[in-house]
Amino acid sequence: MSQELSTTDQRAALSGKYLTFFLGAEEYGIAILKVREIIGIVPVTPVPGTPSFMQGVINLRGKIIPVIDLRAKFGMVTQAASRETCIIVVRRLDLELGIVVDAVSEVRNVAAAETDAMLDLGGEISAEYFLGISKADGKVRLLLDIDRILSTEDVLELTKR
Amino acid sequence: MKKNSKPRELDLGEIAVQLMQAQASETDSLSELRDALGRCLSGRLGADGSASVKRLVMAAKAKLDSLLVGEAADPEGALAAAVRLTCLATSPEDPQASQEPPLDWEPEPPVASPVPSASPSLPPGKPTLLPAEPDLDLIGEFMTEANEHVVNAEAALLTLEQRPDDAAAVNTVFRAFHTVKGVSSMLGMTALAELAHHAESLLARIRDGEIRCTGVYANLCLRGIDLLKETLSAVAAQLHGQEAKLPAGYAQLVRELQNPDQAAQPLPAAAAPLAPLPDVAASLPVAVPPSPAVAAALPDVAASLPAAAASLPAGAGPHFNANLATLSVTLPVPVNVSSAPASSAASRSTSDPDSSSRPAAPGDESSVRVRTDRLDRLIDMVGELVIAHSMLAADPRNDVSRDPDLSRKVGHAGKIVRELQDMSMSLRMVPLRPTFQKLTRIVRDVAKKSDKLIQFVSTGDDTEIDRNMVDVIAEPLIHMVRNAADHGIESTAARVAAGKSATGTVRLAAYHSGGSVVIDLSDDGGGLDRDRILAKATQKGLIDPNKSLSESEIYQLIFLPGFSTTDNVTDISGRGVGMDVVRRNIEQLKGRIEISSERGRGTMFSIRLPLTLAITDGMIVRVGAERYIIPTVNIAMNFRPEPSQVSTVAGRGELILLRGELIPLFRLHQLFKVDGAVTEPTRGLVVVLRDGVGSCGLLVDELLGQQQVVAKSLGAGIGKVAAVSGGAILGDGRVGLILDPGSLIALAKESRNGRPQPEAARHATSEPSMVQA
Repeated sequence: MSQELSTTDQRAALSGKYLTFFLGAEEYGIAILKVREIIGIVPVTPVPGTPSFMQGVINLRGKIIPVIDLRAKFGMVTQAASRETCIIVVRRLDLELGIVVDAVSEVRNVAAAETDAMLDLGGEISAEYFLGISKADGKVRLLLDIDRILSTEDVLELTKR
Repeated sequence: MKKNSKPRELDLGEIAVQLMQAQASETDSLSELRDALGRCLSGRLGADGSASVKRLVMAAKAKLDSLLVGEAADPEGALAAAVRLTCLATSPEDPQASQEPPLDWEPEPPVASPVPSASPSLPPGKPTLLPAEPDLDLIGEFMTEANEHVVNAEAALLTLEQRPDDAAAVNTVFRAFHTVKGVSSMLGMTALAELAHHAESLLARIRDGEIRCTGVYANLCLRGIDLLKETLSAVAAQLHGQEAKLPAGYAQLVRELQNPDQAAQPLPAAAAPLAPLPDVAASLPVAVPPSPAVAAALPDVAASLPAAAASLPAGAGPHFNANLATLSVTLPVPVNVSSAPASSAASRSTSDPDSSSRPAAPGDESSVRVRTDRLDRLIDMVGELVIAHSMLAADPRNDVSRDPDLSRKVGHAGKIVRELQDMSMSLRMVPLRPTFQKLTRIVRDVAKKSDKLIQFVSTGDDTEIDRNMVDVIAEPLIHMVRNAADHGIESTAARVAAGKSATGTVRLAAYHSGGSVVIDLSDDGGGLDRDRILAKATQKGLIDPNKSLSESEIYQLIFLPGFSTTDNVTDISGRGVGMDVVRRNIEQLKGRIEISSERGRGTMFSIRLPLTLAITDGMIVRVGAERYIIPTVNIAMNFRPEPSQVSTVAGRGELILLRGELIPLFRLHQLFKVDGAVTEPTRGLVVVLRDGVGSCGLLVDELLGQQQVVAKSLGAGIGKVAAVSGGAILGDGRVGLILDPGSLIALAKESRNGRPQPEAARHATSEPSMVQA
């Protein structure tokens, strides 16, 4: 999907509004249409026997939803919650899911011209989680493919037990 | 509703059905159908079709041609003739029809009947469950409606068996078939339409007093309802992507319905509630031509069909979003009679005072259909409101001495919130009546098959249980009622020999008792044979023959998988499956089942179920910083052990001595990798868990209290978690995990066997951040 993103069509598909957030110093974006809401960090109840990136479950107004730690998912060092830590509630197909991020930045309009294909960085960094890169204002923002973050094999892994 | 023919080749049956739905004014679709007929002629019929079929198809095409070019004086009549000709052309595929020389079925001149589908020669060659392009919204709505009709009709038929002249009951059954026929033929579901059509014809004769609903006719009606049910589920299966498959025996029963008098030769004068078996009757070699009365009743039926079809779109409005998972919620809404619009025949007669002769049918009260997911959401929100209110009430500023006014207001709001909570919980409750009705039917069928006299007495069918539990409990009840009628009740001869009344009784009673629903199933049959159960269990190696068992332990043996004491397996029961399923389902509902039996006097099964699955009575325990909820029903006791009670095995397994019995001890903090928990059993608390398989001790830090919690799923994204059945929002708004004792014990045993648990280990690395969160 990410190899030949040079055509205008594929670039155009990337344009649109993104919610951007930080993990450490890196800035990421999620297509705004996937985002349901942003809530401050709340107590998370850990669930035994789940993968490490599955931080646990929270109470979202009476509904229990799972929360994943994006740092753990990307293999980054996990860190304690700060006042800026947020949970971005996204909807993937028919399930709702919280994503813990260090801080939410802004909603920005990503134009087709500023996007680029995800580079194959090799090694452990898995390019499949990204739709592409926005490089406006001399800054790199990684556009997340949220559907892939909890992709089929991960869901399988979760349901296997 | 009109489907234009697709490029795909239609067979004659499909063309017939589409023609039935077409209007004479719709020249576009008619010309397409004419072309389709032409292609049939040149295509498959050209190769191997019989001459008479070709002639019929050509005649049908000619009728359409004359209609399309405007030559026909009576376009409606021409269309009707075309339909009839096409139908006739399909009928050689029907073995019954093929016995007749085709010329006897020579087409008549165009008939006045505006709805050709009501003609006696309806059967298109191959009935289809669903049209090529089903209108899913309308079909979903129709399925819900049809299933309700089936339930009502079944109840009415059982009433008819007692009182064959109950006009209201006949009408209920008639209406069920009539509505199904009208709507299904409109939707292009020909299999349903055809079955309903023939059954309706039979009912029409009963309604008109020509025949009585007894004996073979009653049996035919019941089998018709059964087949309707099966066909409906076949449609549902196809809607869920399974292969389209007509239920077994479909063609056979449709033929019998078409020609009921053939089956009814032994006249209904011998109409006792227990009539002769239909198969026996059907095998009598008497051929009776179709009664003219069938034809006589048809124009009437035909005339009312458009009305039924016309009333459907109104009911299929946007509010009634087709969803098979809708449920009927009965709300105590007072109905203002003066403002009620003149409604369809169906709704009129449910409130018909005449119907008071039969027990109140479901739907007598005014009700609204609500989607279950909305209902669940409402209950969620009310639960949240309760928590939000209790946080408000617990706020230090809300103090009577500080501000009595505020305190009073908060208290008042609390009352309202509690009432709202009770009400929202009651929304999920449905009466057991439909389940019990099904069982009435089963007892009747078993009695007939095994040639016994059995009366079925049920009480408390208005007892309500959680809607989600109804389906789960229905299956065990069916097994048990079947067993009671088949094995429990002795044969008539044996009963008389034992000095009992010839008629056996199966009694089903439901009632509320101390926050649970109790369902008692008793029979006055031979009772359980202790010695035979013991012998069988020993023979199958299920128990140690040297061990002495108590009375109730022996009875519990029948719940073991593969256990059956019957010597001869009937097609009704005795295959050794069933009772283990019964116990599994009941345990799944967090219920219990007890057996008491007296040799020669009968057996009683007592099922005790919680009122609702949504609320779990739980014990909240603390382990480290985490809290878990253990269902109270699984807790035998809890205690702080003395050092002498705890011993280890091979340095790994821990055992605890409790009243002379040794049970394994598991540590929850180890299983769940929780830090900062009490590790010394004598300083913590041992909760003794019990489930179907065995018991064990579970070490926790302390008991925080007992609470009713609303059980929820952990969310689709997390999948199934070992040892956890779900979550619940605790009083402080945090989520607490509800433990599943059965799988917890399994997990514990697994981990004791030294099996590595990679996932649990990985989980441990992220633990610190979670605790901080």
